[in-house]
Formats: sequence, C-alpha cells, structure tokens
Amino acid sequence: MNDLTQSAFAKPRVVGQRTPRIDGEYKLTGRAGYTGELLAEGMRYGYPVPATIANGVLESLELDDALAMPGVVDILHHGHFESLHRSPNSMAHGDMVSEVRLPFEDERIYYHGQYVALVVAETFEQARAAAQRVVARYREDDGAVVGLLHTDTQGELQESAGTSRGDPEAAFGGAEVKIDSTYQIAAESHLQMEMHATLAEWRDDGKRLVVHESTQGVFFQRNAMARIFGIAQENLEVISHYIGSGFGNKLFMWPHAVATAVAARMVGRPVKVVLPRQQDMTGGGNRPASRQRVRLGADRSGKLTSVIHDSTTETSWVHQYVDACGSATPSFYACDNVSTSQRVLEVNHGTPCPMRAPGEVSGIFALETAMDELAVELGMDPVALRQKNNAEQDPASGLPWSSKHLDECLTSAARRFGWDKRDPAIGSMRDGDEIIGYGMASCTWSAGRQPCEARVELRADGSLFAACGTQDIGTGTYTIVAQAVAELTGTDLSRIEVKLGETSLPAGPLSGGSMATATVLPAVAAAVRDALDAIKEVAVGSGGAFEGSDADSLSAEAGGLTDGKRRVSFAEILETSKLSSVNGKGSAAPGDERSEYSFRSFGAHFVEIRIDPEISRVRVARVVSTIDIGRAINPPTARNQVEGGIVMGLGMGLLEKLDYDPRDARLINANVADYIVPTHADAPEIDVELLDYPDFKHNEFGGRGVGEIGLTGVAPAIANAIYHATGKRYRDLPITIEALLASS
Amino acid sequence: MMDDSVHSRTAFSETLSLNLTLNGEPLTLQVAPNAVLLDVLREQLGLGGTKKGCDHGQCGACTVQVDGQAMNSCLRLAVMCEGQHVTTVEGLARDGELHPVQQSFLECDAFQCGYCTPGQMMSASALLEDDRIGTDDASVKEAMSGNICRCGAYKNILEAIQQARVQLAHDATAPRKEGVA
Repeated sequence: MNDLTQSAFAKPRVVGQRTPRIDGEYKLTGRAGYTGELLAEGMRYGYPVPATIANGVLESLELDDALAMPGVVDILHHGHFESLHRSPNSMAHGDMVSEVRLPFEDERIYYHGQYVALVVAETFEQARAAAQRVVARYREDDGAVVGLLHTDTQGELQESAGTSRGDPEAAFGGAEVKIDSTYQIAAESHLQMEMHATLAEWRDDGKRLVVHESTQGVFFQRNAMARIFGIAQENLEVISHYIGSGFGNKLFMWPHAVATAVAARMVGRPVKVVLPRQQDMTGGGNRPASRQRVRLGADRSGKLTSVIHDSTTETSWVHQYVDACGSATPSFYACDNVSTSQRVLEVNHGTPCPMRAPGEVSGIFALETAMDELAVELGMDPVALRQKNNAEQDPASGLPWSSKHLDECLTSAARRFGWDKRDPAIGSMRDGDEIIGYGMASCTWSAGRQPCEARVELRADGSLFAACGTQDIGTGTYTIVAQAVAELTGTDLSRIEVKLGETSLPAGPLSGGSMATATVLPAVAAAVRDALDAIKEVAVGSGGAFEGSDADSLSAEAGGLTDGKRRVSFAEILETSKLSSVNGKGSAAPGDERSEYSFRSFGAHFVEIRIDPEISRVRVARVVSTIDIGRAINPPTARNQVEGGIVMGLGMGLLEKLDYDPRDARLINANVADYIVPTHADAPEIDVELLDYPDFKHNEFGGRGVGEIGLTGVAPAIANAIYHATGKRYRDLPITIEALLASS
Repeated sequence: MMDDSVHSRTAFSETLSLNLTLNGEPLTLQVAPNAVLLDVLREQLGLGGTKKGCDHGQCGACTVQVDGQAMNSCLRLAVMCEGQHVTTVEGLARDGELHPVQQSFLECDAFQCGYCTPGQMMSASALLEDDRIGTDDASVKEAMSGNICRCGAYKNILEAIQQARVQLAHDATAPRKEGVA
C-alpha cells in the first residue's frame, strides 16, 4: 500500500512547518567549512595550467623557469603523471563522471581550458606565480567546431533518446492549424558561487585516500575514484559538508579531482586545488547550446493533434553528454500523435553536463513558446489553450498521475497576477513611456526517487543523531532531515544533530534532479522507527523504565516513550538501563507504485515585462507563480528554491550566454563580469504560491522535490510577454538588448 | 638590471611585516608582497568565512570591511592594510550574539548554499550605516548589486536587510541594559 494518508505524516506538527535552517548559524558566522577553505597539516597548493587553444596539439612545455621558482615542489603533466584507469562511467553502478578522459592522458587539445599541467607549491601565491611561468607551445589545428549555433552540421541521431506515439507526421500534415518553428538557446554557465575544489590526502602509507570535494555526490565520486585508482572503495573516503551550490556541475567528478589526488601522492602531502573562476567556466561544466524544431498541429478549437519536437545539443570530443530536451514533451499535453528526437554534435568546448532542469528547461522553452505562437494563430487565450490540452493522465505512460493540480496552478496564478486585465492586442498596454507585456507558460519537472539508507541514534544525553551520505547543496537537506526526526520522536529540533556528506555514512543519493527529499526522508523515517523499536525493547526489558510492558503498547511522544499514562524520556530510559545509546538503521526505495502511477510536478509562471522602446531596454517587473510540488517539507526553503529558479530563468531569458570566438572556439567571456547573471537590481517582484497537496503515492512525506521546477517555464513566459509587448517573436535565447535593438 | 627570474625569486621568497587590527584584535604577521588580503585571511589565518568566488572583484563574495568600508578583499594586497581595521564575517557577531543582519538573514532565509552570504552581510551591514544610501528597496537593491547570489535569494536578502534596519534603529533607541537594572 502506498496511499499512506493514515501515516504519521497525514497531520504533521513539524514537517510542513516553517523551520529556520539548522545549519544556518554555521553559514552566517563563517564557521561552515567549504572545501576551498579547508587546511591540512603540511598541505601544498595546486594550480592548474589551462590550454590557451581549443583545437590542436600540445607540442612542448617549458618548465625550467617555473620549477626554479621559490616553493615549487613539482609540476604534473603528460609524461609526468601516474598511469590510471578510466572510470566505467556508469549511472547504474554509481561511478559516472563528468569527463571520462583522464587529465594529461594525451597531448591532444580538445577544448580551451583543458589542463596541460598542474603546478604544486608550498603556498598559493607560489603555485599561482609558477603556473603563470609555465610556457606551453601548441600546434593549433584548423577546423575547430565553434559551437552548434555556429554551424549547420547535423549532429548524430541518438536512437535511444527518441520517442513516438501515433502518427505525428501524418497528423501534422493534415492539421487545420500549424506551427513550425526553430528555437536556439546559447550555452550557459552554472556559475555556482563556489568554484570546484578538492583537498586530497593519502593516509596509512598511501593505502587510503581521503578527499574533500565540493560535490553533489560523495558516493559517486568515491566509486569513480576507486575505479580510476584501482583501490578498494573501503580505502577511499569522500567528504562534502558544505557546498557553495552546484546546479548540476558538481554531480559527477571532473578531472581536476583526479589530478589533485595524484599530486598528493606524488608529493607525499595533502594537496588542495581550487579552480580559478576562468578554469571553472572553461572546463568545469556548462549547459550545452541547443537547437530545437517544434511542430504543432491543432484543430480550430485549439485541440492539439500533433507534436513533433526535434532537438540537437552539443557535447565535447572527450565525453558524450546528451542534454535530452524533449524528455518532458511526451507527458506535457494530451495529444495522440507525439514524437521527439535528439541529436548530439561534438564541439570544441569543455564538456557540458546537467544544469538545473537539464534538457527539459530548454525543451519547455521551445514547447511553451510554440504554444504561445499557436494561441496567437488561433486567436485564443494562452491559458485557455493550455487548459484545453490538459493531460488528465500521463499520455506517455498511460498511467494516472499520482497527483496533478495544474489547472489550479493556472487559475490561481492568473488571478493573483491579474491576467484578466490583459489586452491581447500587441503593444496595447502602456505605462508612460514603457510598453507592458504579459506572458505566461506552464512548467514541469519529473518526480523521481532513488534507493537510500540512513542511520539514527538516540543518546543518553537526550540528543538524537541522524546520518545519511547525501549532501546539502543549499536546498535545506540538513533541516528537513531534522524535521523528519523531530516529527517521529517529538524531540525538539535543537536536540537533533544531522550529519551528511560523507561516504562513511549510510549510502545516500546525489543531490540532484529534485530527488533528494523524496529519497532521503523515507530512509530517515525507517531508521527512526528502527531506533524506536530498539529503545522500546530496552524499556520493556529487565530493569527497564517500562519493565514487563508490551513494547507494542508504547509510542514516541515529546522525546520519550509513553504507555498512555506515563511518559519517560529517551535519556531516562537509556540511563535506567545503563546504555549510552541505541541505534536504528533504515532503508527505503521506490516500489510498485512506479508502475501504477506517473509522478511529475506542474506549475505556472505569469510574467510582466516592461520595455522602453527608445533604448530597447526590457526589464522583468513581476513574476507570479503557482507550483504544485506535493507537500513542501519546509515551506520557506522550498519557496526560496522556486524564487531562485525564477531569478535564474530571468538570466536564461535575457542575459546568459557563453560566447565562443568564431575564429578559434576559445571561450571569450569566462569571467563573472562578462558572463552576465542577474544581480540584485535585476531581481523582479516575485510572488510564489506553493499548493499543498501531499503526494502520499510518491512517498509517505508527500513531497515531490522542488529544485528544478521553478526554473522551467520562466524563459518562455518572458519571451511570450515580449511578443505581447512588441509583436516580435524571439526564438533565440538570451533575448539580449542587442537582439532587441537589431529588430527594433 | 636584474632579469625576470631573479627578480621574481627575490619578490616571492621575501615576506613583509604587516600590522593591522583584525576583528578588533591587533595583529602582526609576515606576508608575501604579492599575497592578496583574501588569501591571507583564508589560507594563512584560517578565517574561511570570507569567500573566494571569482578573485577578480566581480562577484562580491569576498567582501570585508576596511575601516568600516565594504571592499572586495580579492582586490587588495594584504600589505595595503597596514594600520587599518579589517572586519570579516567572523567579527560580525559580538559577545556570542548574532549581529542583527545575521539574525535577520537567518529568520528571512536570505541564503541557500551560504557561499555568497558572508559577503552579502558585510555589504549589508556597511550600507545600513551609510547615510549616502537611501533606505527604500530600490536603493538597497542597487547598493547590493555588487554581491551576486547565484541561488537567487535576492527577495529574502532584501527583506532581511530591511528587517535588520528596523532592529538596528530599535537597538539604537532602546535603553541600555545597565540603565534599566
């Protein structure tokens, strides 16, 4: 049975309530130790030397001057590096990496910023100075592939990534109304505030490797390193207590971590590498550029008869990454004839990787802009068009939704936004010199869940301890784990200690894909229940606080056990039986419900933009959103995720673009000033409503995850608003001031 | 005339003596002439609260206060701080009590990953004392735009700063504890 409306979480006291982050004070006082600021006894500093070309061969390295500089210990490069193995790069086996090519594997240069050497020195200043003294000589080859959007070359078709139902081509051919548009999105940078960082140390005479990494997946990195270095997983420890966010580029290990661990072994000391921002942007992951053709067929009433969504994205020459743009499309609208296809083109860029709502956010831009075009073609309200095509069940799987409230999202957000005041005529709404545009789009993200283990201790000092080998990348995982423990034990949050981010803890999931909450909390709950069973055994045993009682007659209440007449605290029960603690282990995994229901979150964004036509300046003034994520375990942190997604969506819509030099494929704007992200002054007025329909079919807590969905749908809502204001349809992102000027 | 490598060897192996007041405590230390204040704080003094986000004065994560002014510590050589008062996030709380800005950041959930947060708070606590900056939301947003938050918690950051403003005004007018007795 998965319908757990009778569970402990049907009417929770702590879960679902506003809870300040339990790690907040650490972050706010500077005591939270992020990887880059950790120090180790005798530590040395590594500083990578990046390739300055994007396509060619490293012909020589002149190292003598650098090696002679003060404090320089060693310089690693091709020919002076350990012989290692590649990771099998398997998602199923948990050893996926971001780039399978090992550092310094050969002398071929595949992208700008690829490491050609790693300088190790006694101080950071010495390492940086020596890295700048290394002279690399290259043979630069012609024919660098500058990027998908610079070429008409077709990428390679990914047979396994496509889907089809019905006869979409025939249905499109015979459709009464047709839209056939192509959309292009520039490559983006994650620009997570903390750059990639590694501190590696070999212990026990080189038998054991301990790595601190700013990562969204300690277990994935441990497993991959075990394969690469050929050592037992038990002799590897990966630790990540605080992460300066990731947005996907810290899911899987990058070559700098391998190079750092090798350096630590070669110099016989701990070595720390913090990537300079420029290198983080060239070689530490990006959202690949995409080109998408969307064809929509509909009848005059607005009913979709065909959806054909063909996508191409970039990958690098050294690693195959598929950014599946069409993955939400088969489930988005009720339509009998739907197909998606995916192609991938190799380009001379650093390897792309998942970035927040990977694939789908790009696909939803194309689909939801096409839907706006269809609404215009039909003379139909964009909200009504979406309601007309609402998928009552998942048309991709044929299964009922576990819980879907898109219609309420659309109507509630439209009401709060004031959509009824929208005059659909182009450029009809003005405020002084500004033209106002109203646009909207639906948003969605799948609700996944992974297997997970957890451990809980009840301690004689009255404290509780919960542990899981997942991470808190800023989403608030520490806090929701504590909330779950508090809920089930009645213990005050201040007495609960949570440990995450270590491979010595029970195996936990990646912090990604909006899956951590639904994955981790059920395992924590199972561990709590196991610990409660253990303390009940103690309590009813000889000399116990409830000696002779039936364990089943006891229940947890306010940090203790009660038989209905008398409550004794956990601490007192343990004290009475002369125990320091009891331990509970738990595990949880998705089950049969996955074949009975489809799990996906939906929502809607409504956007007001204002354009000053004299200077082609567009600003997002207001965003009103309603999102259904099941239950928000901690509403303020969940809302913060959606608000942050909206801000990032503003960047995707108007600002963000990795610029590659058309002459040689070098990344031009690899810095925080020239790659433009939204600042505080860019942030619009934001009104986010989270519906509260716990999805107990998904898990007993009712939460479906919240990290990605807020970002999806923002960029098309902006583009649709700009169309409403200007009558110009922008199908390429970002919609920069240059683009607006060019077409004004 | 010395050639480059000799010059570099001399420069990078020598250290200079630096006297400053750090978070209220006088301090003397030896620093390399090319050492940046941010790196001295993080690597030499073990004060990791000041963050490195770009090392180029573009993101604001490294913001500290030098003689009460918010500055990017990544753009300042350590030796330039001779005789100056430097305050980092570690010096924001007083006597074990969170600064009103820290307290309001906690209450308003004005952060996610927390990495830009020390810089945000050092800028915020400086601007709240700066008469040149207006108290309205637009002025605060403009003044805070040197501190990028990629998690996008701007809405809550603004709310936290305005809440701290109220608290600071209240603290300034409240009777002193010893006076109440």
